[in-house]
Amino acid sequence: MPLDTSTYSLALLRLDGRRWNELRRLHAQISTQAAADGSSYLEMGNTKVLCTVSGPHEGKAGGAGGGPRSTQAKIEVEISFAGFSGVERKKRQAKDKRTSEMSHTLTQSLAALLLTHLYPHSTITIHLSILSQDGSLLAACINAATLALIDAGIPMTDYLCACTTAAPPTSAETEAGGDPLLDLNGQEEQELPFLTVATVGKGHAVSVLIMESRVRMEKVEGMLAVGVEGCKRVREILDKVVKEHGKRFA
Amino acid sequence: MAPPPSLQVNLSPAELSFIRSSLAQTPPIRLDHAKGPKDFRSMRAECDVLPGANGSARIALEDGTEALVGVKAEVEKSQWRPVPGESARLTAAGEVTMLDVDDAADKDENTKGKGQNSWVEISVEVPGFRDDDALPVFLAAMLTETLLASGELKDRLYINNRFHWKLYVDVLLLSPLLSYPLSLLSMTTHLALLTTRLPALKSEKDEDPLFDDDWDASVQLYGKERQQIEKPPVIVLAMAVGSNIIFDPSKEELAVADAVLAVACTTSANSGGRIVSIRTVDPPSHLTPPGVPNAMNSATGGKVPTSSADALTQRELLSNSGVWTPPRGGMKRSLLSGIVKMVVEKGGVAEEVIEALQRVEIG
Repeated sequence: MPLDTSTYSLALLRLDGRRWNELRRLHAQISTQAAADGSSYLEMGNTKVLCTVSGPHEGKAGGAGGGPRSTQAKIEVEISFAGFSGVERKKRQAKDKRTSEMSHTLTQSLAALLLTHLYPHSTITIHLSILSQDGSLLAACINAATLALIDAGIPMTDYLCACTTAAPPTSAETEAGGDPLLDLNGQEEQELPFLTVATVGKGHAVSVLIMESRVRMEKVEGMLAVGVEGCKRVREILDKVVKEHGKRFA
Repeated sequence: MAPPPSLQVNLSPAELSFIRSSLAQTPPIRLDHAKGPKDFRSMRAECDVLPGANGSARIALEDGTEALVGVKAEVEKSQWRPVPGESARLTAAGEVTMLDVDDAADKDENTKGKGQNSWVEISVEVPGFRDDDALPVFLAAMLTETLLASGELKDRLYINNRFHWKLYVDVLLLSPLLSYPLSLLSMTTHLALLTTRLPALKSEKDEDPLFDDDWDASVQLYGKERQQIEKPPVIVLAMAVGSNIIFDPSKEELAVADAVLAVACTTSANSGGRIVSIRTVDPPSHLTPPGVPNAMNSATGGKVPTSSADALTQRELLSNSGVWTPPRGGMKRSLLSGIVKMVVEKGGVAEEVIEALQRVEIG
């Protein structure tokens, strides 16, 4: 672990100079593309995601299953990685397991968020292009999708905001553990166990919680608390973006 | 190549006929009537948008089509190829080291002819299409072909006998397919290549390459200091309607084209505009449904032709009556030379487009 665990305990500053509870620069735009029903562009540090929403529109004729017609809109999420998004140039297959898990998570969480019963027999397609990846990828995708869906005017109960937290880096002196880290970049994600959390609205309603690494049981609660706080801050920023955009039509 | 279904427009034969006749007037009246035949759609362009790529650009057209291009360069081991006279050069290595290779012009001379076409790889992604569908593959082939046509770019990717740069150009169409995207993708690629920088080489000769980690010291692939270098080519679409030539047609205008040409052009400081390659593109107008003239429609007092041969002759006779018939055949020679002239002449389309894109980089 050559990275930050060694020096972090000295100044409590992370590699990019942030403190434990600071978000990276979060910049977002909505209505970036005239041709789509809804679109957004979101940057969390160096992670850049572009999202377009089309729909609700009539699904493909004779679609999946062909069973009784649904009473709810179907949500489809497509995620594509640009070849230049990572450090090394790599083509990622659409059938990649990690990609399909991400799109499944998005589909499930958005199905609970959107008022899909208002659009029976229709499909909402969300397309996410990942232009640059540097940690917190799923969180960026969730935030971008929320903004694009707002731009598309699809009714939803509240904002779905996400961020990541990592277990505090341990070293000999701070065996008791410091504070969990908020909003990880790519390097931190590689060396610390982390989780992605997304909440609906201002409260503590957790809608997505994903952790793929192993961490000690007693640390999870702290991580979750910091994550939920982070989500609140993300919500404020996204809310500002939406209101700023709305002012143009006032 | 047949146009993909999403590029076909849902216009009736009467509407097609109307658009065609207004485009065939002198001067032509385009769908956007404020535009002349040589006017391009307005666009918003940005460059250097991605921190993780060597060069990148994004262009959004007024109709909502948007493209993003990222250029990434990686060092790759070259395959050893025996060259005639190689052994002689090795024995004279002592003399080779005496040569002064500091001068950029000399260096260009040294790398001449050493590049390979496989060092540039272009992939095109169009939403709703698979990677191996005809359209993305065709677009990628067109872009690669024009980029490699002059043979200068690949030589600049040469590092030494053992290593070379591999240039990956990833072209993403971010919006759904609204018009024929070739010229948009090509302009975005052009802009991305103009901003592409490669780290400066510190090692010498055939050592393992070592690069300067100062990004400010990096060299531009199409640098300003290399004025004599041709700019990366740009493909412009030109279509013919009657005796008129119209550049950068919209989707609806393409649906009535007699013929469509994709002209790849480039400019350099000393020689002005130059054509790199020309290809014809099969216009979607070939697949539009023909109108039924009154004389052939029994509902309007006409007579339905008895056989298909009869129908063909009748249509032939009515070809100038204004009833829509899909155009057939290619382009007249005079039109072809007209297009070439309009592209390469002083202050022509080539210079205009490339200068406009150049200004994006500065601004």
